[in-house]
Amino acid sequence: MPLDQQKALLFGSAAAVRLLLFTAFPSLPNRLAGRVEVSTPVTSFKRLQEGLFLYTHNVSPYDGGVYHQAPLLLPLFSLLPNPSYYPFATSVLFTMVDLLSALALAQIAESGQSVVTRLFKSSRKDLRWSSVAIAAGFLFNPFTVATCIARSTSALTNLFILTAMAKASQGASFTFVLALSFASYLAMHPLLLFPPLLVLLYDARASKTKSAPSPFLFSVVHTLGLAAAVCALLFVSALLTGSWDFLAATYGVRLLLPDLTPNVGLWWYFFTEMFDSFREFFLGVFWLHVASYMPGLTIRLRKQPLFVATTLTGIFAIFTPYPSIADATLYLSLVPLFRHLFPLMRYTFLASASILYASFLGPAFYHLWIYAGSGNANFFYAITLVWSLGLSIIVGDSLYAALRDELDVERPELRGEEVKRI
Amino acid sequence: MALLATILALRRDARILKLPPYLSALCIIVGVAWLLVLPLNEYSRNTYVSENALLPGQVHTYFTGSEHNIFRAYRHEVALLVDSSVEERTQKLGDLLRASNLKVATQNYEYHAAGRNISNKNVYAILQGPRADATEAVVLVAAWKNMDGEVNYSGVALVLALARYFKRWSLWSKDIIFLISGDSTSGPQAWVDAYHDQHDPRHVENLKIKSGALQGAVAVDYPAGPWGHRYDKLHIVYDGVNGQLPNLDLFNTAVSIASGQMGIGCTLQRMWKHDDSYQERLRTMLRGMLSQGLGHATGPHSAFIPYHVDAITLVTVGDGWHDEMSLGRTVESLFRSLNNLLEHLHQSFFFYLLLQANRFVSIGTYLPSAMLIAANFSITAIALWVQSGRPATPSANPIATEPSSSASKSEKNKGKEAEKSKDEKKPSMTVAEKDGAIALFPTKDLEITERALFLPLIFVLTTHFLGLLPLYVFNNTPEPYLAHTFLAVSNITSVLPLGAAYLLRQFKRPTAQEMTLIQCFSVLFLGMFLSALATLNFSLAFIIGILSCPLSFVRTSKNKILGTVMYAVLALLNPVMVIQAATWFFGHGVVEILVKAAEGWHVWGLWTQVVVWLVWWPAWFAGSVVVAGGLFA
Repeated sequence: MPLDQQKALLFGSAAAVRLLLFTAFPSLPNRLAGRVEVSTPVTSFKRLQEGLFLYTHNVSPYDGGVYHQAPLLLPLFSLLPNPSYYPFATSVLFTMVDLLSALALAQIAESGQSVVTRLFKSSRKDLRWSSVAIAAGFLFNPFTVATCIARSTSALTNLFILTAMAKASQGASFTFVLALSFASYLAMHPLLLFPPLLVLLYDARASKTKSAPSPFLFSVVHTLGLAAAVCALLFVSALLTGSWDFLAATYGVRLLLPDLTPNVGLWWYFFTEMFDSFREFFLGVFWLHVASYMPGLTIRLRKQPLFVATTLTGIFAIFTPYPSIADATLYLSLVPLFRHLFPLMRYTFLASASILYASFLGPAFYHLWIYAGSGNANFFYAITLVWSLGLSIIVGDSLYAALRDELDVERPELRGEEVKRI
Repeated sequence: MALLATILALRRDARILKLPPYLSALCIIVGVAWLLVLPLNEYSRNTYVSENALLPGQVHTYFTGSEHNIFRAYRHEVALLVDSSVEERTQKLGDLLRASNLKVATQNYEYHAAGRNISNKNVYAILQGPRADATEAVVLVAAWKNMDGEVNYSGVALVLALARYFKRWSLWSKDIIFLISGDSTSGPQAWVDAYHDQHDPRHVENLKIKSGALQGAVAVDYPAGPWGHRYDKLHIVYDGVNGQLPNLDLFNTAVSIASGQMGIGCTLQRMWKHDDSYQERLRTMLRGMLSQGLGHATGPHSAFIPYHVDAITLVTVGDGWHDEMSLGRTVESLFRSLNNLLEHLHQSFFFYLLLQANRFVSIGTYLPSAMLIAANFSITAIALWVQSGRPATPSANPIATEPSSSASKSEKNKGKEAEKSKDEKKPSMTVAEKDGAIALFPTKDLEITERALFLPLIFVLTTHFLGLLPLYVFNNTPEPYLAHTFLAVSNITSVLPLGAAYLLRQFKRPTAQEMTLIQCFSVLFLGMFLSALATLNFSLAFIIGILSCPLSFVRTSKNKILGTVMYAVLALLNPVMVIQAATWFFGHGVVEILVKAAEGWHVWGLWTQVVVWLVWWPAWFAGSVVVAGGLFA
């Protein structure tokens, strides 16, 4: 089968599965939208509807203290018919978002930046999966499907992150800056992806043209571009809502964690237990911890910027305040780009088994805690720990494999030797 | 590091691959043995009341003397209503409650399940506690007809008498709701659904008056007729829908009041005679597990438990010397204890297996048995995964210095002489050098086998979706057609694996590796579902784990006889066959069970059939296809 036909078949079947689930099980979207694993306070579709209601009735959407998402989503969704009566338009929109994300993922795979960059050529570069297979891995991942059916707005964030990666690996400056500014505008933490992706963009550009552009000028121009784009988005938002209150209600909530609704992350339980006097300190420490991975990884793995960006999405899926399975699905669908590292990874079975077990036991324990009343919060928190453990094993193991892969190129004589931890 | 290297080297040892079936078998044996030792004194504990506020049996009860005459009068009133219509009956019962100065309301409900129409009417009254602020309530239930379909004369009369009697007391610090439900399962379900606004207004009427959060519910089942009947023991029924149990404190309070204060013996799980021997304890436990595993409603209390309202039913059994007043005083004392509660029952266990009225096993002690059964599947899955990634014929002992002759023989048998033309006796070797030492490895041990994941994954997922079909059919077939449907489904499912295996052979021959992977994924899912299920409904996970444990040991076999035997064993353990055999064994009709299941699905929110059709049946089907694949090879 030619490649385009394969792609058409894949996208067609993925869209069909989603639309079938939307139409055949009309109660499923709302049920999933209520699951804490899928919808967080900052991505929930139910909260978006609340904000939308206030917005269309000329009340500030942030007045109720329920809506914590970006203001620009409101005009977009107010164009669609009311999802309580005509859910089809929203279903089509979210299906499209997933398809576009898969398209961007396929573009990343086709660029080959995961195995061969400007400064580094993996010795296992022939071990790759086709872009169609990688897109299929994203589209048919049950977590992606669940995120799409729940109409969580993190699907949009994922789309913009993937587009930014795709454009960076193609060397398209303008669209890259635009996509990343949208991602950062929607979810804030994707801003941390800027340095590694900028390196990626620079590499892609430098290998295209004969003479590499000046790194300093290049980064200044793009940083200014990003700042301008984000400022423009914020300014339009302020115009739209009539005040700058949205900053505290959106980014303030993400930064300061006032809403302790349980999620699959590690923050909520910790901060429910915390004495108020320590709150600010630990908020600072937790955020510093998330942010600290970026400079270290970017410098150490300077030669493989796409891998740094991928690992950072994994870090976000574990350590940000409001993660959901949508963040995990983004990371898990980027990992197959690095198929050549799989033979070097050591704990794949352990990691995948713990993630699979956690995804079955999580809902069971949540049920015991909230509905049956026979369990308590510790049950669910224990499972989120297992979930995060599984993800962090993949992050750590793939990081080891990437370093090992680099070592094999730098010191071919050490190939196959056992490493010792010092 | 050296140890790790040795272990890694062992991964390729053929002898290691022989180990997992034994390990799986060991898990199953230990799991079952674990369950069998639970009734021993060393592994079970005496029950105790954990919540201090309950103070069971510490109050004097006053439901005696002239109340007896009132009770008898009510019982005659109730007896007069037996032949009257539902409307008339509820009207009269409402009037009786209203005469005790209570607020009364009624509720109609109408359910449709398996082509049947279940409709009746509940009547209930609310006593506003003199010291209460209407934030909490406890419920006293008597169903008009009990689980066996007998009219609950004395139970209803007792509720009426207690309503009148409780109204006179000033000490209630919770509201008390008296509910006389139309039947034993759907009526309380309709009422408690509507109480929590979780009902479908098309079938169930809204409640006109409500009180606060329900803290507990007690149902009485005393079907003695207008002239009374003295009973021997109280049978305490505690299983909720889907195997959820009430807090053990409620059960303990009831037992300690009945046996300690009133001197009435308590029994459970239909064990009318219990001499506290090992066998009797074991039988009690197994009956409890069966009841929990099936997850059906066992009395009027069952509907309350999913809403986190702890509830039990007191059933009078046998011929003895206890009269209705001692039951009334038991209920009075129980309500006085519940009245003391400062917070929701939470102190004691929610997961337990009872061995007799005052002995239990807690979750920490019994859970490992179901987990071991589930782990056996995970072990098999790991083994099959490793096996699928290996070359077709692993060398017998890779660490041995001499390459074994059997390896080269099997190579020859596979017709690979062309590759081996250079050296017919020995397999080709690869030289590896490390730290000046030289070692020889068989080349094929260094080859990496790629796994073809697509077909197995699609197959297993399709199988799981296929289970939706029988689930839908059985839940929505009207009763007259159920017998035929059951016959058809059992015939189809018995032949379907053969057909599927034949078709797979015709279109695309699944390789041995794909067969292994199909089984691997199917068993992996089964193990995962069962370990998650064990935390929700231990008994169901255990029962299904035991019934599907042959799936760990069957393989695609070239040997036709062995394959036929394995297929025959699996065919006997077909979920449909198991249902048939179990209903025959326990002396019920299949149709009766299916109707109950459909009623459970539509009315009680039962999900046992989801587990059967979407977990158990797909695993069985995949295993059978794997075995049948060998028959067509």
